[in-house]
Amino acid sequence: MTERKSRPPKSRSDLPPQDLHKERDVFIQTFFKKGAQLTEELLKENERLRRRMEGLEDENAALRAQVKSDNAIRELLHKIEALETEKTRLLSRFHEVEAQSHEYQATFAEFEAELSNLASLYVASTQLHSTMSVRGVVRQVRELLAQLLGARAFAIYLVSDDGAALLPISHEGVRLDDVKPVAVGDGAIGGAFTSGTSSIEEADLTACGLDKPAACVPLRLEDRVIGVVAIFSTFEQKTRFVPVDYELFKLLAGHAAAAMVSARLFADGGGKIPGIDAFRNLGV
Amino acid sequence: MADYSCLIVEDSPMMRQLLVFAMARVRNLSVTEADDGVDALRKLAAARFDLIVTDINMPIMDGLKLIRRVRTDPGHKDTPIIVITTEGAQEDRQRALQLGANAYITKPIQAPQVIAKVKELLKMT
Repeated sequence: MTERKSRPPKSRSDLPPQDLHKERDVFIQTFFKKGAQLTEELLKENERLRRRMEGLEDENAALRAQVKSDNAIRELLHKIEALETEKTRLLSRFHEVEAQSHEYQATFAEFEAELSNLASLYVASTQLHSTMSVRGVVRQVRELLAQLLGARAFAIYLVSDDGAALLPISHEGVRLDDVKPVAVGDGAIGGAFTSGTSSIEEADLTACGLDKPAACVPLRLEDRVIGVVAIFSTFEQKTRFVPVDYELFKLLAGHAAAAMVSARLFADGGGKIPGIDAFRNLGV
Repeated sequence: MADYSCLIVEDSPMMRQLLVFAMARVRNLSVTEADDGVDALRKLAAARFDLIVTDINMPIMDGLKLIRRVRTDPGHKDTPIIVITTEGAQEDRQRALQLGANAYITKPIQAPQVIAKVKELLKMT
């Protein structure tokens, strides 16, 4: 154990003056007090800054989320825009195809109507020449008038042997008394015979009758006219002649006379078919 | 072989030929022709038809009598019937519908109109 050397007591002159000592104490106290205050303030500031930083971090996260969401919206908007463009393109294509389809349908309907017309002409022609009996031919002419042309009242006239009058050989829908012989050149019927051209009512047919036939068609045999077909009235629903009717009139004008005369000559010849010599050396 | 069969009953060869031409435009439809009601009944007894198209005014047996007979025939009582009439035959038309005809077409016939009616009654798309 070391022995502690006791110091000699300080002399009064070594000691600081009493007021200086006090001043030092005050200074130290103030210094520590200020230090404590500063530390406290620093701690508070630190806390405030920490909170501020947290706030900013939150704000930053929110902003990030916002930007992210804005991007998603922008992307969606782009997508919507692209889809709208696609929709417009598809709609335009759809309308195009629809218009095309309507066009095809219209063309198809036209073809069907044309086929129907051709069928009518073909049927009329084949039926007209399907028989070699005069009655049969006249029956076919009547059928053609009623079934294909919609004629309700009509008469078939042939020229008399002296060529002065047209005599009715068949009629339908009119009384026999009403179908009188017609002088050649007289009225619409006589006029059609003389001119060799058809007179066909182009307007409404409902007003037609015995005095004003709906159609007068000359029956031609090459360049000769041998009779006239007169239509006095048509069925209720047949208010107007349509293009195919005009073709049927032409067919009637060109074929009916030939069919009737051939049938007559065939009957007069006893139904005999000419021998082969009749068809040889024709020069064709 | 056709999926559907149709019997055309018409005394006028011209009308019959015209109807045959129109029916030829309908796919999968075979056509049989009859001159009048009696001929039609003979053909109906021998085969099954999906559709009958008949004129009203015919010799031997007219269209109205034919409809009456067809509607009492178990084999064809439900077979659709189209009647071909003239404009003046309003009574015949009404009578035909009362007897069981399903539709009528007025002369002069138009092929597209006939085709449309046939397809409608045969439920063709």
